[in-house]
Amino acid sequence: MLRASLTFATILLCANLPLRAADLLPADQSMASVIDHYVDALIKTNDVQTAPQIDEYILVRRLTLDLAGRIPTTDELHAFVSADPATRRAELADRLLASPDFIDHHRNTLQLLLEYPDRRNDNDFRKYLLWAAEQNRPWNQMFRDMLAGDENDEHQKAALQFVKHRAKSLDDLTNDTAILFFGVNVSCAKCHDHPLVEDWKQDHYYGMQSFFSRTFLTKKQGLGEKFYGEVKFTTTAGVEKQAKFMFLNGSVVDDGTPELTDESRKKYDALVKKLEQDDKAEATYPDFSPRQRLVETASHKDNNEFLARNIVNRIWHRLIGRGIVDPPDQLHSENSPSHPGLLDWLARDTVEHGYDLKRLIRGIVLSNTYSRSSEWDSAAQPPSPHYFAVAIPRPLSPRQYAMSLLVATRNPPHWEQWLTKSAEDWKKERGGLEGAANGWANQFEIPGDNFQVAVDEALFFSNNDRIDNDLLRDSGDRLVGHLKAIEDPAEAVTAAFEAVNSRQPTADERKAIIEYLASRTEDRPAAMKQVVWALLTGPELRFNH
Amino acid sequence: MGQPGSIFCGSADHGLSRRGFLGAASAATAGTFAADMTRLDGLKNPLLAGEVKRQQKSVILLWLAGGASQFETWDPKPGRPTGGPYAKIKTNVNDVHISELLPKLAQRMNHTAIIRSLNTKIGDHGGGASLMETGRVSDPGLIYPDIGAIAARELGRRDSQVPDYVSMYTSTEGRRKGTSGFLGARYAPMFLSDKQIPDNMHRLDAISNDDHKDRAALRDLLSKRFTQSRLSEKINSHTTAYSRVHGLMSSEKLFDIEQEPESVRAKYGPRQFAQQCLIARRLVEAGTPFVKVARAWWDSHGQNFETHRELCADLDHAMSTLLDDLEERGLLENTLVVTLGEFGRTPGINASLGRDHFANAWSCSLSGCGVRGGSVYGKTDPDGNTVADGEVGAAQVFATMLEALGIDHEKEYMIGARPIPLADFGAKPIKEVLA
Repeated sequence: MLRASLTFATILLCANLPLRAADLLPADQSMASVIDHYVDALIKTNDVQTAPQIDEYILVRRLTLDLAGRIPTTDELHAFVSADPATRRAELADRLLASPDFIDHHRNTLQLLLEYPDRRNDNDFRKYLLWAAEQNRPWNQMFRDMLAGDENDEHQKAALQFVKHRAKSLDDLTNDTAILFFGVNVSCAKCHDHPLVEDWKQDHYYGMQSFFSRTFLTKKQGLGEKFYGEVKFTTTAGVEKQAKFMFLNGSVVDDGTPELTDESRKKYDALVKKLEQDDKAEATYPDFSPRQRLVETASHKDNNEFLARNIVNRIWHRLIGRGIVDPPDQLHSENSPSHPGLLDWLARDTVEHGYDLKRLIRGIVLSNTYSRSSEWDSAAQPPSPHYFAVAIPRPLSPRQYAMSLLVATRNPPHWEQWLTKSAEDWKKERGGLEGAANGWANQFEIPGDNFQVAVDEALFFSNNDRIDNDLLRDSGDRLVGHLKAIEDPAEAVTAAFEAVNSRQPTADERKAIIEYLASRTEDRPAAMKQVVWALLTGPELRFNH
Repeated sequence: MGQPGSIFCGSADHGLSRRGFLGAASAATAGTFAADMTRLDGLKNPLLAGEVKRQQKSVILLWLAGGASQFETWDPKPGRPTGGPYAKIKTNVNDVHISELLPKLAQRMNHTAIIRSLNTKIGDHGGGASLMETGRVSDPGLIYPDIGAIAARELGRRDSQVPDYVSMYTSTEGRRKGTSGFLGARYAPMFLSDKQIPDNMHRLDAISNDDHKDRAALRDLLSKRFTQSRLSEKINSHTTAYSRVHGLMSSEKLFDIEQEPESVRAKYGPRQFAQQCLIARRLVEAGTPFVKVARAWWDSHGQNFETHRELCADLDHAMSTLLDDLEERGLLENTLVVTLGEFGRTPGINASLGRDHFANAWSCSLSGCGVRGGSVYGKTDPDGNTVADGEVGAAQVFATMLEALGIDHEKEYMIGARPIPLADFGAKPIKEVLA
């Protein structure tokens, strides 16, 4: 049902038109240098103080969390810090981007985004995302798969779960599509206090809605589309209007609905009813599919700025912790991008390179903007986050945290083989980790804009027997078991820090823990458990910092 | 009850660790607890208790899951075709009558306001529950906090050592966890579904009390440098969560009604709903701002009258005992007790002698804190088919609850650039039921 009584006025873009190509840096410049150019320019213009670059330990941790969805093993840590500083960063990024870790992690991250806001864990959809991540399937094609895929294709059929999950609510379909693929949250227009902007029109909201209004779920759980049907709405002035098939930038799709007699309308109504009620009914599709036309229109080179800028901004947000447009669902004229040139350059690059998300991710993680420290020791107020002058600490996703706990608490020698193992063996091992992570991941909150760590999490770590019996077990296959066998306390402390916090302890930390261990010589395993618990529950593991 | 002062474990005098290194850290931690315990211990000192009570407002929501019938509770229509078999009875407030199924509450109407003119339109369980819990229709792309999360946020303390939103829901029917939505997990409910005591509140036997505290101190020590050199609300929430652990663990006893004197337990009796009301009272007394106690199986599509005879007796006894207990302890003036569900039930009686879902003309009640006791707001037509006077929706009820607690219902949370008022845009509290 349409909620026509709400005063929707919407979006738009006029104030936000992309810059002309001539105003942007050359297309063939390296992405990382383009990013730093635009970010540094704003920092310089405003005379903003920046945080220094991170050291090699934090760098390998940050890259591994972002590209593999887990902390590095002790072995990977050692390999990176002893590799050639001139080349190791790009080599690591390339190795991880080509690894099975990336496929799983990329899938997991896309799933968190696309199942928003209800987060149903749909197995078919998960499989589709894994397949798409394996192919590095171009984003514009994923967009088409999810909104207007072919039911007869195994993968695209699974992708259509995106629409099927929302098919019962036209508002959800309209809003979620606008938010997730175009970065536009139409519900913000409901806000009475917001000054209405000249270019925000109900026509756009109902225009978007009209692309979905004929979509329905058949009894067989297939997607049907009705043969006719209009969206009508009442303007704030009380005038009733019929919506056009209008995209967010005002482009109107010709209405291809055939002229229908009352009789044929009745025939089509009966057909739709049958499809909705009878699981043996044979699906019939109209020639004119509004949903298909939305996909074509939004992907067309004249209109694709929404699709391209949104995915660029989403990936940026994922890796940097804040969008170039922030929040990322507020891409409209009242909320300008912090770095318009950068957003447009990246969007142009993404379109020109076939919506290749790996390319985009690689470019961002190789920039100096990405590798700034999250520490702010200065007494001065830290700069506003929109400068990207200090890194933003990002809470790990439930899966990142679960995987990291599992990696950290295995005995470090277990992982030594990993760097040399074949891709197939490695994939199997990674699959095992993914499976093991399931049972832990659901203990943790999915990070959103207003993320806070729940006290339930702290109680879980403090008192649940799974922590003691599994993560802190002192058997030989666990970190605690490994540490208790190391005689030299200093060496044990280093091993614990490298396994959990991916770095070496400071002199103070080493001293404090050695003192503690010295007071617990009567029960070394218990003492080691205490130390490992204190590290596992620390903020340093909980955040990508 | 055990020895005086035994409700809390007494972390304040938790002995210094046998180990010098952690001794100092432990002492600092214990000091923090001591400061907090002052307030809690104050409850045993009558003078201090009064001071605390004036400041500390709380809500106990008795959630009638499935939807109670207004005809068999707050808006009886005896003798009408829709009225069913039960009579109405006088209450201790002139001219106010309620169903004969609530005789004890009838004698306590001086504490209670009835709203008889709810028209909330949504008649499915999920949609109705979400509407009444959040006071607004859900909005794609934004998850609203429910009344419990808002109360926790507005009435609780950030570093509170007691839980600030507890939700008890032990039956399987329509189990709803409650949501803190955009307010974040800090205000999410502690949810009790299969037992009376929350998960992970109890130290494992495998670890000694000293070790449990020492490792927390070690954790704090190792985290300090990291936390202090980064300015992040998200990281701070991690610190806060861990800093609340020992306080919450010591509040485990609040969930144990064995701690109550036999005389008090006898008043509440053996039934689960009443016992959960007793836990709610213990929590509120210790400073928990919001407790929801859900009582299920009101969804009487069949045998409505037998169902209500049984469930109303349970509600009548539990809520009356709760109101008496709160009053005797001087807590009622600061505790708002609400009866609410997702909707009411149809005037028409179906072939199975049931009443179906009905959201167009139904009732709820507010008692205690900020409420004009004995007041009745709004009216339905003689058969209860429609609201005849004073129609209100979920948003007004929401605004009214907030106002009763002294919370400004127009206060706004900023979500990005978007202001979201606590009660939905334009909602006004029902002044007539407020003191």
